[in-house]
Amino acid sequence: MKLRFDESVESFRAELLGWLAANRPSAEEMAADPSVSTGHAPAWARRWTRTMFDAGWLVPGWPPELGGRNATPTQTLVYLEELARARVPRTSNVQGLGIVAPSIIDYGTPEQIEQYAMAILHGEATACLGMSEPDAGSDLASLRTRAVRDGDHFVVDGQKVWTSGANYADFCFLFCRTDPDVPKHKGISILLVDMDTPGITVRPLPEIVHPDHPDLNEVFFDSVRVPADRLVGELGAGWAMANGSLAHERGMVWVSAVQGIEEALARLLDEAPATTATLPPTEQALANDRIVQVAIDATAARCLGYRAFAKLARGGTAPEQALMKLFSSEVRQRVAEVAAEVQGPDALVTGEVAFDGHQAIDEPQGTWLEQYFQSFANTISAGTSEIQRTIIAERVLGLPREPRPT
Amino acid sequence: MDLELDTDQQELRDHARSFLADSCPPSLVRDLFEGRVIEGRVVEGRVVEGRGPADSGGLWSAMVELGWPALAAEVDHGGLGQGFVAEAVLASELGRVVAPGPYLATVTQFAPVLVAAGAAELLGRVSAGDLTGALALGAADASARADGDGWTLDGVKTHVLDGASAEEIAVVARLVGSRGHEGVGAFLVPRAAVAVEPLTVIDPTMPLATLRLDGVEVDGARVLLDPRDPASFDALEHVRRHATVAMALSGVATCRAIVEATVSYAKQRHQFGRPIGSFQAIKHRLADLYLAVERADALAWYAAVCLAEDDARLPVAAAMAKAALGDCQRLATRDGLQLHGGIGFTWEHDLHFLLKRATTTAFLLGGAEHHRAELARHLGLVA
Ligand SMILES: Cc1cc2nc3c(=O)[nH]c(=O)nc-3n(C[C@H](O)[C@H](O)[C@H](O)COP(=O)(O)OP(=O)(O)OC[C@H]3O[C@@H](n4cnc5c(N)ncnc54)[C@H](O)[C@@H]3O)c2cc1C
Repeated sequence: MKLRFDESVESFRAELLGWLAANRPSAEEMAADPSVSTGHAPAWARRWTRTMFDAGWLVPGWPPELGGRNATPTQTLVYLEELARARVPRTSNVQGLGIVAPSIIDYGTPEQIEQYAMAILHGEATACLGMSEPDAGSDLASLRTRAVRDGDHFVVDGQKVWTSGANYADFCFLFCRTDPDVPKHKGISILLVDMDTPGITVRPLPEIVHPDHPDLNEVFFDSVRVPADRLVGELGAGWAMANGSLAHERGMVWVSAVQGIEEALARLLDEAPATTATLPPTEQALANDRIVQVAIDATAARCLGYRAFAKLARGGTAPEQALMKLFSSEVRQRVAEVAAEVQGPDALVTGEVAFDGHQAIDEPQGTWLEQYFQSFANTISAGTSEIQRTIIAERVLGLPREPRPT
Repeated sequence: MDLELDTDQQELRDHARSFLADSCPPSLVRDLFEGRVIEGRVVEGRVVEGRGPADSGGLWSAMVELGWPALAAEVDHGGLGQGFVAEAVLASELGRVVAPGPYLATVTQFAPVLVAAGAAELLGRVSAGDLTGALALGAADASARADGDGWTLDGVKTHVLDGASAEEIAVVARLVGSRGHEGVGAFLVPRAAVAVEPLTVIDPTMPLATLRLDGVEVDGARVLLDPRDPASFDALEHVRRHATVAMALSGVATCRAIVEATVSYAKQRHQFGRPIGSFQAIKHRLADLYLAVERADALAWYAAVCLAEDDARLPVAAAMAKAALGDCQRLATRDGLQLHGGIGFTWEHDLHFLLKRATTTAFLLGGAEHHRAELARHLGLVA
């Protein structure tokens, strides 16, 4: 039990901060050429990825040949905190660096690692994650996009939806059904599909805020021929790998989520005295009480994050991460909700808010109401809040699973 | 920030847990709830002399033998110098099993005033288990008048934990005519010198009393914190936070025990041909309840470390911990009882001991609203 990290962690932090000061992309550079989608890496972002890779700062926990420095989990935690604090995005292609590259490294062939994973780590390619379908959301295992073996190719037919960054990504980490005759969890495989392959159509889906800069897409596959050596891992082992991929995603995402909560809260605390100054005393007290409640949530989120992290560092399991995913996304939502309600009708005025790009930083962008609507990205994607509650009940508390149709 | 117990602290927790499983079984708690008091009791094969009603069947004597009152105290005060985290571990283990006895009032409320006063001799007696105490907080309800070398105290103190059983009471009082942070002090008053009205309360493991001070004379040597000293106010605020953090830790542990009992009941009770815990309506409520306990627990331990390290974040952390205890107690009491169905509504089932203890810890030393109002000031929302 202690509040501060020991010396070795602090010297790691100092080294990182020194390096960041000398090498980070400037705020002006980033603003001049914003990333318009999580599949889009502007020139500065590609350069920045390569710079971090070469210096061993891209994925510190990995060995130098993969862009790291064999950092300990605690050092990685500090690294993520400092990047978020400095408002430097690690990448614009979150799903590529966070899920796709680690999964290929875990399960792919040496050729796939070289051609696809290293391309992401070198800032030369971006990836999208093709999991969800119109009829397969929370129930992902019921996905129907088919891949049929034809000589030395697979032929892919079907449709994905909510595919972040597909409008710019170079390739897709595609979940498809390779065997319709076995139980649904067993017939799923993963293919690496170049997005410029003939037969692929991408249709952007404008979002609830910033409709001019869509990141979500529908992706249609019409007899798309994919070389058979693009199969990742074993045929039919896609479901097991999906759980691995999502674990990568959930491990430390709370760090930037908590940073986002704290920044939003700081802004709320800063604005609140002026916003509530004209309210009658009782209303002011009620508003303050709601603000205090989210302030308690924010501190709790950080404390819980450190705890979940301690379990992870000791080789703990993924279910604890469900707690952080659920809590941090819902607290982020509550902060924006409270802030907007305290603002009253002024919250309805959108004005001209500049689009800062998808920079994978959970910083408060736009008005409070825009932040509120945007916050549902995190309570819906990567397993909805309801699905997280079920995971906590079944895998943390050990309650019996619901009878499931087979 | 590292909120995990180190190996020594884990060992202490495991040891305390197994000791309490033997020495504070639900049957002992039931005895108290049903008004049976046992004066002596078998502990680890030996008959332990009872030390009166507050000893709860020899439980306190056994704790004293284990050195618990000395564990956290400084070596200069006859303690073992293990610091507040050790105290926190014990406070939460006691909360888990609804343990009765003087620990909370004496060690987490009374002793901190003695520490603030530098009263080494008295602390030595507390560490040795020779002195029990209570803390009568709140400055508004008692006044102090200088009277030659000594003082005269008047007023009424309400809801004093262990007020009817402790040997000495640390009474907080304010100088007649003083306001705000000025003029607040603490005095050591023998229980025999005050009129004590024990209250009949919902949880007899947390006995409360009203104390009437009617011209009680206190000699100069019994002033713990002089009301004329401007530093006394802050010292008492620190004492209050110490007591609050310990109460939060203990209460959260009780709430966790409610969750554990309810989860295990939900696994075992069948309706409609399946365990009730397989219904999603119940799963999601339990997931939310678990989250509320984790939230309060994380904040309580964060406050504990702030206290142990004398960190400037303590005032905010302590208020957050106690406010979060209130939130989690409300949910744990409601869902714990509701999800047990009819059996939870009975006196026979042990669940109500936990529910009543959790509620008591949440309501004493300021409920959630009180601490949120305090936070509004700390966070700069109100002047
Ligand atoms: C911003 C954003 C980015 C995304 N990016 C990607 C991406 O890059 N790649 C990708 O493949 N997908 C992506 N998704 C899709 C995301 O994973 C799905 O939206 C999510 O899994 C939910 O599926 P659904 O939208 O079909 O909702 P549904 O599954 O239809 O759920 C609708 C509602 O029903 C509830 N519900 C469903 N099943 C249960 C149950 N068993 N018990 C209780 N409640 C239930 C849900 O919680 C939800 O409230 C993204 C989504 C968003 C919002």
